[in-house]
Amino acid sequence: MARYGMALDYKNCINCKACEVACKEENGVELGAEKHRIWVGGNNPDGQWPLLDIASAAFLPSQCQHCDDAPCQEVCPTHATYYDENGVVRVDADKCILCSYCMNACPYDARYVDDRTMTVDKCTFCSDTRLARGETTTACQNTCPTKVRTFGDLDDPESEISELLRTREHFSLKSHLGTNPKLFYLT
Amino acid sequence: MNFIKKIIPMKDFTLKSLLTFEKTPLNMFMFIVTIALLAAFGWGVGQYLVHSHHAYNVTREHPWGLLIAMYIFFVVSSTGLCIVGSLGDVFGFKDYMAMSKRAILGSIVTILAGFAVIAFEIGHPVTMLIYNVLSPGLTSAIWWMGTLYGLYLTFMIIEFIFLMRNDMKNARIFGLTGLLVGLAAHSNLGGVFGFLNARIISNGVFYPTYFILTAFITGIYLTYLMYGFRYKLQFPEEIKKGLYGLAKIQALLLAILMFFETWKFLTAIYGGMPGRADTAEHILHSGAFLYGEVLCGMLIPFTIMLLTKWQSLKLYVFTSFIGMIGIYFMRYDLVHDTQVKPLQMMKTTEYQLPPEWIEYFPSAAEIAIGFGAIGIFFMLYYFGQKMFDLEGGDH
Repeated sequence: MARYGMALDYKNCINCKACEVACKEENGVELGAEKHRIWVGGNNPDGQWPLLDIASAAFLPSQCQHCDDAPCQEVCPTHATYYDENGVVRVDADKCILCSYCMNACPYDARYVDDRTMTVDKCTFCSDTRLARGETTTACQNTCPTKVRTFGDLDDPESEISELLRTREHFSLKSHLGTNPKLFYLT
Repeated sequence: MNFIKKIIPMKDFTLKSLLTFEKTPLNMFMFIVTIALLAAFGWGVGQYLVHSHHAYNVTREHPWGLLIAMYIFFVVSSTGLCIVGSLGDVFGFKDYMAMSKRAILGSIVTILAGFAVIAFEIGHPVTMLIYNVLSPGLTSAIWWMGTLYGLYLTFMIIEFIFLMRNDMKNARIFGLTGLLVGLAAHSNLGGVFGFLNARIISNGVFYPTYFILTAFITGIYLTYLMYGFRYKLQFPEEIKKGLYGLAKIQALLLAILMFFETWKFLTAIYGGMPGRADTAEHILHSGAFLYGEVLCGMLIPFTIMLLTKWQSLKLYVFTSFIGMIGIYFMRYDLVHDTQVKPLQMMKTTEYQLPPEWIEYFPSAAEIAIGFGAIGIFFMLYYFGQKMFDLEGGDH
């Protein structure tokens, strides 16, 4: 039993998209731009050429926030979306009826339709793959060349993520919605 | 058949009599329209069975499309007709007694048409039936909406049976129960949108109440259309009284709706809250809202009723047709406008501009299924008229 979360040192992100590729490879995510569990968002730099504010062109890696109070779980009419024993928000494909309510309710646009099963799919923190094999990192974390991501147990005070969250300022996305995300952006 | 007739009185009919009708130009027109719509529905279903959800233009960013809008269109119509039907047999207003049977039949066939649409929108309808019972999501507005609509249909059918048996006491009991369950189901449908914290333009109390209000308006429009067609605009006296009353109620409801809409947009825009104010302004600039919702759905019917002082029943039949176009746009817009603001505002692929507004236009299959279901409504209503005696009832 753990309470998994992830800290992202997002300012280190170089938008190489290795995390997106590793996620697709590890978890067998479908090909196609619309079919992604994780993504790197980018801004165009502010200002006009040649006076561009390069620092404003930040990259923001993102994915399912594995909220403690996930709207997608609340709105699911058949409990297809559920919290597993590690607090990871998962989808039981057998119960999913593809009403797409969760896709509308998720404030982070973290869900998509898997055309092979015609059910909604999302990030699982590699629960079915790497964690099931006993590994302790996710594919996106493992492949990141600039060590943006730190995955771990938020309930374990000795874990690297707990240490990071104790010592670094951080914020969460759309936390005003009361979702209590477990993805933390380090500043 | 005799066993069924013992339960619900029916006219004597044969297959041949069901399929024959007076060959007037209007009847022939309706026949051709119905066949065309049913053919479209069949073609759309074929496309869906071959291509699954790929036949639809729904996307990750815009997962609900025209079929959700048409489902809402039909169930709103059903609830509205249920309210109109209840005026007489549940609440005892004498002027509306004669309308109950036809209105309740209408409410049953419209919701069946709605179920036909949603069956091809939900990815796994059989799984839904199983896990709705085995694993109910009690915090989900969709679960409550779906379950309550199932109950509502059951009560409507029982009420209709008692109405046909002229058992007004039981009709009143089941009518009232059905009405309450229907209103609960319908406001839950509003809650499906109102509960969306992520979509601040829809989040809040507006839609659950707005749905009930517009359901009543839709029910009155449809009552005018059904009676206009039934009596070829030559309304008998016992119906006229009810229709005059409905025109006054309609004008009042439209005035309330315009008042609600005005304040919805004022509160959405005031203060410039990001995500809400900009979305509201975007909606205000859309033709579907201005010409569809405001002009067809509200202003034209209201102005005509006001200018004619609620006395031109024939004109209101045509007004109601325009009004129903407006109601369609209300349903389409509420689905589209809920999703029009992207949740993820950063660009995720190179050579792409950051997303601004989500675009959506229904595919041919969506249009065929969504509008084709109107043919299902026409067909079921036609058979209902042929099989049941819907006249009288003013007891």
